[in-house]
Amino acid sequence: MKVLVVDDEQPARERLKQLLDDETAYEFIGEAANGGDAVRLSAELRPDIVLLDIRMPGLDGIETARHLNSMDEPPAVVFTTAYDEYAIDAFDARAVGYVLKPVRRARLTAALEQASRLAPSTLTSVASAAKMTAVRKHVCARAHGELRLIPVAEIACFRAEQKYITVDHLNGEDLIDESLKALAEEFSSDFVRIHRSVLVAVRCIARIEKTEDGKSRIVLRDNSQVDDKELIISRRHLAEVRRRLKGV
Amino acid sequence: MIAARDPDNELTQAYLPDFCAAGTLFIIVLVAELIAIALTLASYGPAQQFLIELSKTSFFILWIALLGTALMCQLKGYLESAGQTRAFVLSFAVLEIMCLVVAEGAWQLTRIYGESLIIDDTHATFILRTFAISSIVIALAMRYLYISSEWRRSIVLEAQARISALQALIRPHFLFNSMNTIASLTRSDPALAEEAVEDLSDLLRANLGGSSNKSPLKQELETAAIYQRIEKLRLGDRLAVRWDIGELPMRARIPSLTIQPLLENAIYHGIELLPDGGEVVVTGSRDGDHLQIAISNPVAVGEKRATGGNKMAMSNIKQRFELAYGNKATVTIDDGGDLFTVTLRFPLDEGAA
Repeated sequence: MKVLVVDDEQPARERLKQLLDDETAYEFIGEAANGGDAVRLSAELRPDIVLLDIRMPGLDGIETARHLNSMDEPPAVVFTTAYDEYAIDAFDARAVGYVLKPVRRARLTAALEQASRLAPSTLTSVASAAKMTAVRKHVCARAHGELRLIPVAEIACFRAEQKYITVDHLNGEDLIDESLKALAEEFSSDFVRIHRSVLVAVRCIARIEKTEDGKSRIVLRDNSQVDDKELIISRRHLAEVRRRLKGV
Repeated sequence: MIAARDPDNELTQAYLPDFCAAGTLFIIVLVAELIAIALTLASYGPAQQFLIELSKTSFFILWIALLGTALMCQLKGYLESAGQTRAFVLSFAVLEIMCLVVAEGAWQLTRIYGESLIIDDTHATFILRTFAISSIVIALAMRYLYISSEWRRSIVLEAQARISALQALIRPHFLFNSMNTIASLTRSDPALAEEAVEDLSDLLRANLGGSSNKSPLKQELETAAIYQRIEKLRLGDRLAVRWDIGELPMRARIPSLTIQPLLENAIYHGIELLPDGGEVVVTGSRDGDHLQIAISNPVAVGEKRATGGNKMAMSNIKQRFELAYGNKATVTIDDGGDLFTVTLRFPLDEGAA
């Protein structure tokens, strides 16, 4: 079994590496100091199990685990933590594997043996039970077998197109495999639905204007770098869009 | 974490005793009697009349004392919510008016029924005397209550500081992470592991240690430096601390356990949440007879600031500075922009160290 170790603290990674080196059934294949690297390395090294610290700056462990789920064959995840009262309660309640620091050898091997893949819904419910925000700071796109994290703060809009969703962001566009309905719920505080198939970031909206054939459309701010000709507001959503714009 | 009680409320409660309690009533009667004896002794007169004079004075004073207690008991709820200064002014005024009313009543009763000379005085001077004596006694009593409550408060706050520093130290995250670090170092770098154990012990000792209210700055900074070394092992290059404190006199005394908790806050709520870490800057300066120490840390964008634990530590430090220096010290928090800065400004106290 190939194991990837993710922790923002070097000694903590070292400790897990030492313990894994003593085990024959498990092979230490790499380490990452943050969630972003963890996602990239996982796509590259294809670990069977990821040992993931919960409290990390930037991408925390739980969000990282949610992104790992975007892979074709997501790895099993075992969380490591010194002390996260709420998270541990949530793990216990949902049979999510975890190890407490300082890490004990027996506990680590037991957790590795039982490690299993976590369903996305489990992770969402863990996140909210652990009083961590269930709203991600990034979405994860797959391109050529590589995972790419797109900061939500750089996204202008999500457009549902056939099977996938196109994400328009500062550095271009990417496809993600999620449901627009779930995205609308998760990012409801920053995005507004303008059409059955389109979510737009409220901060990117410059104004609403009328088209020649009497429809309303969104004009995005100049710096959002997105071609805006398609952003027609459906009549059903017009009132809500107006309300959100006033609220800004 | 222990639920933080509202310190302001606690303060007024501690300042005024519970006038509805039997114990308080007993003490008030006792003190009233002692005052009556003192006043009677002080007034000249034939010795054989002492007991008669004493009973007259006692009678008068007990009326005042018991009525006053009853009034304070009635006003209790209001006074507790009024805040310190208002509670003080209000109780003083109420008690004073009550004294004058009782004095006037006594005078009128004597005038109507008093064939014998009960009050050996003119109307105006009697009222004036009552006013003067009662003012002095009430003011003294309030001063006494104030000082004893401040004294109690300082003990409570210091105990709180010690407990919260200990809690922070035993903040499970810090302790378990440090233990994990040490477990890792015992294999990879035993010498460093040894040092870390020593540092952790020193830190625990400093926090468990004696009960001195103020410590020399030097000692405070040493404790903070030990803390920094332990965190450095864990956070590596992500943690940098710049000590710009050359100007500070090391012998100066400051309330103990203040610098380390502030450094800890800066790391826990600031540096640890930044992917690339950052630098905590501690600057000290001297300006005449005041010292100023500022601790600032960069803040991660979009992170929630001033969480429960942080707020509690801050309010404790604030109150202890206030208690130690009155209004000559200020503790200011500036969390504008991407820096969080706590500034302590307090009078220089080189003490008799």
